[in-house]
Amino acid sequence: MSTPEVVSLDRKGAPIWGTLIGQFLKALLALAPLLVFMSIFFFAPLWAVVLDSFKSNEGNFTFANYADVFKEPIITAMRTSFGLAMVSALVSAVPGAVLAFLIESRGSDRLRQVVASISGVLANTGGVPLAFMFIASLGAEGAATGLLKAFGLDIYGAGFSLFTFWGLVLVYTYFQIPMMVIVFSPAIHGLRREWNEAARTLGATGRQFWANVGIPLLFPSFLSAFLLLFASAFSAYATARAMTNGTIALVPLMIGNLLDGNVIFDEVNLAKALAVAMIFVTLLAMVPYIVIQRRAQRWQR
Amino acid sequence: MKLFSRRQLPLTLGLVLATIFVVLPLGSAAEFSLREPLKNTHGFDNYTWFFVAPDFAKYLGISFGLALTSALILLVLLVPTVVWLNLGGSKYRGFVEFVSLLPLVIPVVALAIGAQTALPDFAQTNEVILAFMYAVLAVPYAYRTMDTGLRSIPLKTIVEASRGLGATWFHVLFKVIIPVIRSTVLSALFMTLALSLGEFTITSLLHWDTFTTWVTTMSQSNILGAIALSVFSLVSVFVLLLVISVFIRPTKSMVISEEN
Repeated sequence: MSTPEVVSLDRKGAPIWGTLIGQFLKALLALAPLLVFMSIFFFAPLWAVVLDSFKSNEGNFTFANYADVFKEPIITAMRTSFGLAMVSALVSAVPGAVLAFLIESRGSDRLRQVVASISGVLANTGGVPLAFMFIASLGAEGAATGLLKAFGLDIYGAGFSLFTFWGLVLVYTYFQIPMMVIVFSPAIHGLRREWNEAARTLGATGRQFWANVGIPLLFPSFLSAFLLLFASAFSAYATARAMTNGTIALVPLMIGNLLDGNVIFDEVNLAKALAVAMIFVTLLAMVPYIVIQRRAQRWQR
Repeated sequence: MKLFSRRQLPLTLGLVLATIFVVLPLGSAAEFSLREPLKNTHGFDNYTWFFVAPDFAKYLGISFGLALTSALILLVLLVPTVVWLNLGGSKYRGFVEFVSLLPLVIPVVALAIGAQTALPDFAQTNEVILAFMYAVLAVPYAYRTMDTGLRSIPLKTIVEASRGLGATWFHVLFKVIIPVIRSTVLSALFMTLALSLGEFTITSLLHWDTFTTWVTTMSQSNILGAIALSVFSLVSVFVLLLVISVFIRPTKSMVISEEN
């Protein structure tokens, strides 16, 4: 265990493999608890889903489950889920980023910590309690609806409803904006003051610094935070279930229904194929995420 | 505090908007839960019933037990890993970051179905399995919080300094590392608690009953009561948060020189 951290080199400057292997083993030992845990409770279940999605009800190998994914009503639900995730991520990413920026650049340490823990709670609100909050404020009988009406703005008269696509987008922002604050803040924190000072010393105006240095540096992190929001909205289940009651067809709800035994299709493993399709979409969103993170890490430490 | 100076004004404005955004739905729900339609007044009728309902204490107990267990699991798993990453394993950081992010990205429904099929029977018939699943879901939040917190502390320098001054590893761990990372670890734990107490998807798809699913079931028969319960649980979380943050000093940014 007492191997030095420095890689030993032989005379020609090539690393000695023994030490390298030693360091690798050490890393494996340090990472083992997390990796073993994740393998049992995360990777193994997902692998089982992938395997089962290729089975018919009799247990034979088949692609039939996947053929159903591209048929109605599933394909429509896929499109709706995708659109909902895209729109709600877009609508939440910008205000979340601005808020994170203001707090990181001008807030005190205490404020940053308080905001971080409150955001942690809000990012995890969902389901029936969240649905209640919005029905109580912006439902037909809600307090905010009444308030707006008193000011002469009858939103329900204008055709607004919480139980539509756009209503759902609004509800999603309640946990998406705090999530954006959580995932985007570290990037701003890493934007070092020295760079601003250097740019200023070289004669840049504040605006020039942001246009040529700040925003180009932050943009990759913004994009990757956006992709995370997309993935989380795409998979949201509890809130969607509490809000829609089947009025909007979304993929996570379909999977839930198939599991609860409200079977629309004959095949039990269809739910698994649907789940794999969802995993596929979210992983697809992760590919640009990884590429962008690589790029961002050049300057972020 | 110059809240309205030219520099601070945007922050003040942003915080005011954010507060309205957070409080408006919560406040409306609170107002709603105080309505007493039969008497046409406001009062605490919707709140009194659940304090005497035996299920309230039962499910609250189950939820808290599971939340504490999952927080403990994460503590044991993550603290050594994150400390190691910040001490010498920084080249594995990208990898760990990616793995720890996956539970946020992979749909929870997919994980729930998988857990139904892949986990052995003894795990399926024991409620504790939920604590492990909650821990998986909390990994992205807890890891991020801990890593961000630890990165703002020059842990390596502090550890080397104390070693150089003759401290044993035992002392380094208990007198240096743990006190320094305490508040970071606590905020990670808090996030885990918040997530576990509100988890619905896995709980309901694996057919277990906790506080969250109980509220959902209640909402079908007693909607005002269920709204009152939701408000009560959210407000209690915030109060708890406030109490904790009063007792914990904020983590000071201690970055002196950015090595590693």
